[in-house]
This record gives sequence, C-alpha cells and structure tokens, in this order.
Amino acid sequence: MAEKEATVYIVDVGKSMGERRHGRSVTDLEWAMKYVWDRITATVATGRKTATIGVVALRSDAVSSVVVAIQMINTYTKKLKYKRRIVLVTNGTGQMNNEGLDEIQKKIQDDGIELVVLGADFDDPEFGVKEEDKDSHKAENETLLQVLAEGCGGVFGTLEQAISELEIPRIKITKSMPSFKGFLSLGDASKYETALRIPVERYFRTYVAKPPSASSFAMRSGGQEETEAGAGQSPSGGEALTTIRTSRTYQINDESAPGGKVDVERDDLAKGYEYGRTAVHISQTDENITTLETFAGMEIIGFVQMNKYDRYLHMTNTNVVIPQKANDKASLALSSLIHALWEQETYAVARLVAKEAKPPIIVLLAPSIEPDYECLIELALPFAEDVRSYRFPPLDKVVTVSGKIVTEHRNLPTEDLQQAMSDYVDSMELDGEELPIDDSYSPLLHRIDTAVRYRAVYPKEPILEPSEQLTKFAHPDNELVRGAKDSLEKLISAANVKKVPPKSKGRKRLRETEKPLSGLDVDALLKQEPKRTKISAENAIPEFKQMLSRADSIEIIHDAVKQMTSIIETQIKHSLGDANYDRVVEGLGTMREELVDYEEPTLYNDYLGALKRKILGEELGGDRNELWWLIRKSKLGLIDQATSEVSKVTENEAKEVSSNERDEF
Amino acid sequence: MADDSYARDEENFEEEEVDETSFRAVKDAVLFAIDVSSSMLEPRLSGDTKKPGQESPTSAALKCAYHLMQQRIISNPRDMIGVLLYGTESSQFYDEDGDRGDVSYPHCHLFTDLDIPSAQEVKELRALAEDEEEARKILKPSKERVSMANVLFCANQIFTSKAPNFLSRRLFIVTDDDNPHGENKSLRSAATVRARDLYDLGVNIELFPISRPDHEFDTSKFYDDIIYKTSPSDGEAPAYLQPDTNTATAKGDGISLLNSLLSSINSRSVPRRSLFSNVSLEIGPNFKISVNGYLLLKRQEPARSCYVWLGGETPQIVKGITTLMADDTAQTVEKTELRKAYKFGGEQVAFTPEELQALRHFGDPVIRIIGFKPLSTLPIWANVKHPSFIYPSEEDYVGSTRVFSALQQKLLKDKKMALVWFIPRKNAAPVVAAMVAGEEKIDENGVQKVPPGMWIIPLPFADDVRQNPESTLAVSPDPLTDAMREIIGQLQLPKGAYEPQKYPNPALQWHYRILQALALDEDHPGEPEDKTKPKYRQIDKRAGDYVLAWSDQLDAAFDKMFGGTAATTSTLVKRGPKDSADSAGGPPAKRVKTEGGTGGVDEEVKRCYEKGTVSKLTVAVLKDFLTAQGRSAAGRKPDLVDRVEQFFENK
Repeated sequence: MAEKEATVYIVDVGKSMGERRHGRSVTDLEWAMKYVWDRITATVATGRKTATIGVVALRSDAVSSVVVAIQMINTYTKKLKYKRRIVLVTNGTGQMNNEGLDEIQKKIQDDGIELVVLGADFDDPEFGVKEEDKDSHKAENETLLQVLAEGCGGVFGTLEQAISELEIPRIKITKSMPSFKGFLSLGDASKYETALRIPVERYFRTYVAKPPSASSFAMRSGGQEETEAGAGQSPSGGEALTTIRTSRTYQINDESAPGGKVDVERDDLAKGYEYGRTAVHISQTDENITTLETFAGMEIIGFVQMNKYDRYLHMTNTNVVIPQKANDKASLALSSLIHALWEQETYAVARLVAKEAKPPIIVLLAPSIEPDYECLIELALPFAEDVRSYRFPPLDKVVTVSGKIVTEHRNLPTEDLQQAMSDYVDSMELDGEELPIDDSYSPLLHRIDTAVRYRAVYPKEPILEPSEQLTKFAHPDNELVRGAKDSLEKLISAANVKKVPPKSKGRKRLRETEKPLSGLDVDALLKQEPKRTKISAENAIPEFKQMLSRADSIEIIHDAVKQMTSIIETQIKHSLGDANYDRVVEGLGTMREELVDYEEPTLYNDYLGALKRKILGEELGGDRNELWWLIRKSKLGLIDQATSEVSKVTENEAKEVSSNERDEF
Repeated sequence: MADDSYARDEENFEEEEVDETSFRAVKDAVLFAIDVSSSMLEPRLSGDTKKPGQESPTSAALKCAYHLMQQRIISNPRDMIGVLLYGTESSQFYDEDGDRGDVSYPHCHLFTDLDIPSAQEVKELRALAEDEEEARKILKPSKERVSMANVLFCANQIFTSKAPNFLSRRLFIVTDDDNPHGENKSLRSAATVRARDLYDLGVNIELFPISRPDHEFDTSKFYDDIIYKTSPSDGEAPAYLQPDTNTATAKGDGISLLNSLLSSINSRSVPRRSLFSNVSLEIGPNFKISVNGYLLLKRQEPARSCYVWLGGETPQIVKGITTLMADDTAQTVEKTELRKAYKFGGEQVAFTPEELQALRHFGDPVIRIIGFKPLSTLPIWANVKHPSFIYPSEEDYVGSTRVFSALQQKLLKDKKMALVWFIPRKNAAPVVAAMVAGEEKIDENGVQKVPPGMWIIPLPFADDVRQNPESTLAVSPDPLTDAMREIIGQLQLPKGAYEPQKYPNPALQWHYRILQALALDEDHPGEPEDKTKPKYRQIDKRAGDYVLAWSDQLDAAFDKMFGGTAATTSTLVKRGPKDSADSAGGPPAKRVKTEGGTGGVDEEVKRCYEKGTVSKLTVAVLKDFLTAQGRSAAGRKPDLVDRVEQFFENK
C-alpha cells in the first residue's frame, strides 16, 4: 500500500493575482490554478482514500498562511504516519511578516512536512527565469520565501517550471509481483541424478498500461430531453446518469415455437463446450476434465542460435527471470547460464507452467547483462496452432502462371529505384544508440487521463487536442526530413507511384483478369448458352452478373434488375423465419455492388425504397422487421454520392432512409 | 464463463479481422470434391521400407479432409466444411426440403453436408477414411463417366443454399484425372461455363492435383479453363499455382503422397483475411504506398465454455441474451440511451459518444516511417504483443509493390529497421512500432512457410516498462561459465532454430481431444501427447556428465566467493538450516541443486511419508517441498499434507 498522504495547497487569491503579466493571456491566479488543479485532479484520479487534500486561500501574509496549513495538517493527521506536504503558490506581491521564521521552520521540520513554494515570475537562474524590472518589494518577498523553504529542507521554485513540467506525462509506477516462483530446470530431477535446477522468480518486464476504462450509464429517465437540448455539450458532471444492471435470459432454437426460439430456465442449464456444432455437456464432477494436468516449472527444452531466431516470433509482453531472493548460489548458477548464453550467442527455449494446472507455454530465454544487473528476458513463442499460413508471392522475383521466373517486372524495383531507396533510408537514419522508449508516452492513455481531469474541473469546456508530448513520434523530425529532402525527391521520381483515382477502384477494373488461367474467353461461350436469357432462381447471382456483363442496352440492365428483385422477393416471402435472410442480403448486396460498378445507382435506390415499403407494410410474408434491420446492419442502404458520383442521394438522405421510421416515404 | 463475454468482446475488438467494406459475413466454407475413380482408389505402396503401408489417393484425400475438419473445429469453430465424392456409383443429394436421396446430380455423393461439422459427421468421415469395410460400401467408382459440369453445379448449389453470403467459399478438388472429358467439346464447354458460375458466385476453386505413377498431371489439358487468375474473394491473392509450382502435384507413393497433400492443404487451411486493408505506408512526407495487414501469429485459445440446455433429447447450446436495465427504475435501457462515463473520485465524468470518439482519434489509419535504425538497436525485451504482417497492395497506389520490395530488400540487406507511427484502423490507439523486414521461408515440401514482407512490432511506451525487481548479483567466474557452455553446446535444437510447427499446444489439443471423446462417446483417450516436454533421457545422455562438471565448478566458485558461512548470513534466518545443509553437503546423490538444499527437505519429507508422519512437518517445509515439485502451495496445512501424500502415492 502506498503511504497515506496529507497535502495542503495554499493559493494566493490576493488582488494582484487578478492581473495579467508579461504578455500572458491568463491572470496570475488562472496560471497558478493550472498547476493546482493538475495536482488536485491527479490525486483524485488515483481514487485513493488515503491521499487527502486541503486548500487554504491567502489574501495577504503568505508566511502566516503556512502556519495555518501546518495546523490543518497536524489536526488532521495527529501523530500518525503520513506523508505531509504544503504547497504554496503566490506571486509574492503581498505583505509578508518575517517574524518567527526560525520557529516556523523548526515546526515544519519537526512535523516532517515538506514545504514547496512556487512563485509566478520568481527568479530561477537554473531554469532560466529572470523577471526584469522586478520591484524591490517582490524581490524581498522572494528572498524571504526562499529562506523559509530552503531553511527547512523544502523546495523553492518558479511557477513557469512547474507548469512546463505538467506537460510531461506522469508515469504510474506499478510494483510487480512475481508471476512464477519455482525452478528453472534442465532434465527431470525426479528421474535423473544429472538434472540441474535453479530456483528463480519471474516478474513483468513490460506490461501494457491500459487507458482508464469508461463504464456505461443510462441517462436518467426524464432527463433525456434536457440532454438532447444540450447536444454537443456533455451531460454535466454525472447528475443525469444512472447506473446499469444487466439481466440475462437464455434461449434455445425450437422450430415449433413462434419466432423459432424459446426461453429456458437457468436451472436447466449446465456447463459445456461446443465441438463443431455439437454441444458437449460437462457434469460438475468432471469440471476439469478437459484441463491438461500440469505442474509448475520452467524446463529447458533446448537451445537455439541468436542469428537463427526471427524477432517477429515474440508473441507477448516480456518478463525478467531472476534468481531466488537472497540465494547467492542460485544467483551464481543463473549467472553462469546468462553468461554462457551470451558468449555463445544462444537463447534457451523452455516450457513454462507458471502454476499447477495452468496450460504450458513455450518461452524464449534471452541473456541480459548490464553492469549491475543480470537476468534472463523471457517471452512466449508461438505454438503450431498460432501460426497461420497465408501465402504471398515473393517480392524479389515474379513467377508467371507458366512457372517462369521473371526479374524485370512492373512489380519489381529497378536498380535505380533500389539505389534511390537505399540512399533515402541511409539519409533518414535516426541518431542515438537506443530507441526512444523512455520518452514515448501512451497517447491514448494520457489523453483520456487528461481529458477526464480537465472535464472534472471545466465541465462546460470542449475536449482538448492531445499535447505535443503525446504526438512527438507521429511525424519524422523536421530536421531529419530537411536533410533527406533531395534523396526523397529522387526516390519519388524513381518510384513513379500513381494514386488510383477513387472512382476507378473496384472490381470492374479487373475485368481482364476475370479469365481462367488459360485465358479462354468464357464470355463468348456464355453468349452461346441459349438458356441464359432468364435468370434462374437457383443460380441467380452468377446469371445476374453475366447478364449485366453482356448487356448492350440500358433496357437489359433494367430487365436484369427486375428479374433479380422478383427472385429476392420470392425468397423473402418463402422464408421460414430468418432461413433465407442471408441469401437475400447476398442478393441485394451483389445487386448494389454491380449497380455501383455500372453507374446505375438509381436503379438500386428506387428498388430499395420499394422493398422497404413492402417489408414494413408486411407484404412479404408477415413481419420481416428483422430482415430490414439486417439489411441496415449489412450497410446495404441507398447508394449515396460518396459511393457513386452519379447518385442523386446525399449521405444524409441515405442515412435517413436506413432508419426504421415508416413514414419517410 | 459465458457472462463476461460482452466485456471481453470489447477488449478484443482491435484484434478482430473484419471487412468494413463488405456486406458479407467473415466466414469460410470449404467443400472438398474428391474424385472416386479406379485409379484414385488404387492403393500405392509406400516406398519407405521403414514405414511400410499403403494408401490410395482417395483415402489420402479423405484423411486430409478428416484432418482439416478436426483442425478447423479448433481453429475456426464458426466455419463450415463439407465432403462431396464424385464419380461414385451411388448418388446422394438433398431435394428442396433438405432431405437427401435425390438423383439430380448423378454420381455425386454428398457425404458430409456443408456445415459446421457435428460430432457425428466427424465420426462418419473418420470411418470412411480409416475403416475399409465402411469405405468399400461407398467408394465404388461408377462405370459411367461423371460430368464435371454437373459436379461443379452441384457444388454451386451446396454453396448457394448452405453458405449464403459467406466472404470466403472454396472448392477443394482432389483428382488425378487431368483431362476428364478428353476432346468432348460440349462437355468441356459446359464445365467451363459452370466454373464461371462458381467464379461469379464468389467461389474459389483450389485444385489439388495428383500425378499418376506413369503420368504427370498436366493442368493445361483441362483445369486451366476451370481455375481463374484471381480469387473472387481476395483479388490480390496469388493465383493458385504461383507460390508452389514445384509441388503443385502430389505424387509418389503412399505416405509421401499423403504428406505432400497434407502439407499442401494445410497451407490453404484458412482463407486469407486481412486485419486492415489499404492503409497508407508513408515512407516520407508526400510519399505513400498502400499495404494490407494480416495477423499471421495469434495465440489460439480454446473456445470458452457455454451453457448447455439438457431438457431435450440432445443437449443444445443456449444463447444468452443480456438486457440492460436502469438501476433506479428497472426499466430496459436501449443501446442508444447508453452513455459512457469515467469514475473520478466518487463522481462520474461523462462524455458524449462523439467526444469519446474524438478522444480516440489521432488521425487516419497510417504506418508512417519516422526514421531508420540498425536492427541491433531493437532490444529483445522491447515487446508487448504479437506483430502484424504487412504486404503491399496496388489498390490505392499503383507501384506500391515495387517500392515496398525495394524497401524490404534494403532493410534485409543492411539489417535495418524503420521506426513507425502506427494506427492500424480508424480510431485505434496509435503505437510506436519497429517495422522489420522478413524473408520468405520454404518448407521441405516446397510449400511457403513464412511469406516475404514486413512485420510491425509494437514497442512499449515508457508507461509499459516495469522497473526491474531488486536482485543480488553474483557474476559467474569464467570456469563456471565455460562449464555451462559445454552443456549448452550439447543441447541445440535441430538446426539451432525454433520451429513452431513442431510444438502443438498440448493444453489446446487435449481440451479438444477430450471433447471429441465425450461428443463421440468414446473411451477416455488415456495419456495426452505433449511435445513440449523436454526429452529428459536425451538430456541426461548428452549433457549429464557436463552438468555434473558444472555442479562441481559451482560448488567451488561458491565456496571461493562466499565461503562456508556467507550463504547462511546472507539468507533469511528460517532458510538457514537448508542452506547450510546444502553447502555442507558433499552429496551422496549427485543430483545437482542450487536450490539451497531442497534436497535435504526432499529426503526429510520422503522419510516422514514412509513413516506416516507428514502432518508433523511444518507448513514452511511442506510449502517448500510442494513448490519444488511444481505443485500448488496454496491452502491450509491439512490441504498441504493431503497434497504431499498424494504426490507420493501417485509416484
């Protein structure tokens, strides 16, 4: 547990704090509050009940306000163990009394309080702040406060520095617990006298810090109107929200029931698994029957050479494996493994069961040697089932359909391009030995964290853009880009890359490849097929496409659409429950896709309108609302102008038609 | 259990392979069409004298189908598979009402209907593949030649009715007949038309040709008219022959035929699905190409348990429906009424859905190169998850492939990597990642094992790096390190490399093995096969003596560095006795220990067990003992005693 904390913020609210100075857009008070709010919200965000805060407003004498703060802390914390702190933020222009300074300092020290004094435009040669034309009264106050703070081991600084440090995201330090304590072994110690065992512990080396997660709330009944009115603004600080409960019901398929489904009782249910589409029920006594029996341990399987390991095989976050605490012999033994692996440029591969009955994983163990720290880095490797074999053509040669290897091809770089790429890559080399991990911060985590705190303080303000720190690596460094400008230009010209205009994307562009490998003209064969003037219901999609591709007049396209729509409507009418819905969606989707390609969006849009009327009017075999919902979900709404330039439907109109309202036509 | 699925789905959202542009369901249906002719049924003897046996091409194909079926139950539980035998004497299909027994497709026998397989179907297919009796009944070649047009249209109808709106539908044809219709023009042209129908329906035909002992399979005779240059569902997928021309035809004798067919089918067991498509790879300001992203490495987990309803004749999977209710009024809450809010010091801080989306927005999806670095600067520990694989696409920028190729080759040659800003999809959290070039790798059957391309490895942010825990350092002296080097030298894995293919996930396999046994009402399968277990006997044989030598070095180094007493003083007091026991122990048993004398504990516990006085041991000793055996050390003393006794009983 973290230590209990008691912090009192003393904020100078004197009249002079209301002024804007040195060209700043905010008053001194607003400036100071930026810091104070940040600290307070940071504390609230931790959700810790043991981190307590008090605030003192000060109008004149800063020194006596410190005395008040000391009293507050002492009253609250009594003599208990607390981390005590007083933070004073002022511009140092008020009256200050230096009487009894020694006593105050002594009291602060005796009570174990840390005093932090931050001043607007206080001089700080180290940070580089020096206020020109500082009036002598303020200078005196600054000296006084500096003596006060530093005299009791506290901190004295300028506000500008404190505020600039707010920009650097704060990292939450998490103490790791061991995820495995046991033996790193080689061989089976229960059977062989030659088995080797080293007691080790395993901790996270990396672990992704997740952004805070939001919970779901419902808008409080009756509050809806209010919120709608304030659209754009957020529902203010939680008053309109109510928490949510979930309740679960259970259904099974039953063809005899209306709707094909029937509710079942929770008590009639047992735990089970699916094996294919067969339900396998597991009785309670057999609960762990499918669990592989395993015992904890980290057992070395063998060793692999570093240069034969592909870095992309890393499957997970990484861990460190260190010797058992306070076991020198284990340290020494593990050290010999670490050094031997290092010298031989080898990794170990091991089977890890972190706890009894947990599934085994295969891990890589890599040596890590720093001057004062040695450990094994451990991470999970893929199993056979984790590797998906998707095949891709080679990138350095082209193999033709006939099996010939070609080395000059539009998909292969010319020598010029290769050289230009090589030069560009070399000119964009980053400085430094190490990757910039230490100053890269999780953009989403810190942005949400900041936004929540900001919203808590300023509920009416819109959300902010992410800070520069968070997007530092979103773009290459300007200077680097400037240096590489020439080589980039050469690369661009050697590459001769052409952007595909949005319109010509899509399938029709590939017409010429819609031929079998032999190049046979199947379209010609199709034309000879006498039967194919009418689209048959059982082979509708291919025949619809083929009819369109043969169409030499708009009438034929109209006819094809008409035939297709009548097939679709028959399918809807005859659908038992939702049995034909997927076919309907496929038919509609195909029609939509093709009519976009043939630039006839109106045909589709008109039909969709008619279909919607029929569905909602229950003309196609009763209640088909679920189908309309499926059509919407499948994004088969009107073809808008963004999809097809010749469409007359705007994006907004398309959205409206997709809605469920009946009266829109 | 089933109840937390909602939360988990949300978590996995970024990992899902979705097609945002298509109305089609991201599912795959594979229909095997297996030729049953007398030459396909002719057993071929194994040429390998060590592994005698025989295998006919048809039975090899059925075994592959069975294997794939089992595998897909694990890896793709929502996908469909079916088996159509053609050229059989019998005909079997379903009529409009779904009943089987129609003869509209003569000599086509739909053995396993296209569906998510049931346990019964798995059993039947296995019987057909392995049980000769069973097989003889069905696998009778017809005397009349089957029309390929009919076979293809039969497949068409199966896909149309059973797998409507699937993103991926594939017909796997296994045959040794490269010219089924000879010179018969009308049959040929009918087949090409039916093949075109399949193409227009979005069905991809994949051919698994088998050469006859006296005749090489020649695709130009017939199949080049049937198979298309591009896959209808994945326009950029390579045409079927290209990547493995040299092994297109499975040939040879029994076992090798089976193996090459297996390898070939395995490589196509899953359709290519992209994780993200046409994302810009921004090589420099104003210089972009387009790439697609794929998940080639992803931990395969067993499917979650679910609820089963036992009230009927057969157990049924239950669908759970969650209803959200407002806490104060108990009224049902629609999704549109939901608001997200963050807890903040006992209050809620709320945002509109638009604001929440804006907070996640850091720009359009992109892979933007911000510079290059030597590959050696990528630390082994700097990892948080599996990588994504990228391959160029010509869809948005013509010329992407050649530029990508130039970059990939340069990075390979100079052992460099790119540092990138990576937003894989709309409103995904940006990461800084290392982009590393990967070489193509081919397996012993000539099938591509690892594709050429680039890998995007997300790096940890400063927030994700944990501080190293405290640890005492005792640097190994050279002689001790040398002794360990000897051991390592003896135990290299084959070719000094890790081959994922050799290590099936034992827990996953066991889970499904048991489920299969339960579903098919079979006997318990006995011992699980676990290839991840080290080869203990070999380790002892090859490295045993070196381990003993290392142990002597360790004792010597330890005495020299810490002396006899140092260990005790540097250890927690309660561990004292064990440590001293170890340091003093010139062990009669040579078992090598560094655990600080658990050996002594071992003996002690064993003695107590034999005398029946385990319960007299202290909790600390029991815990140490159990931990050393990899057993759980949780619980109260009686539990620990039980567990210790059980340990010896089972020995």
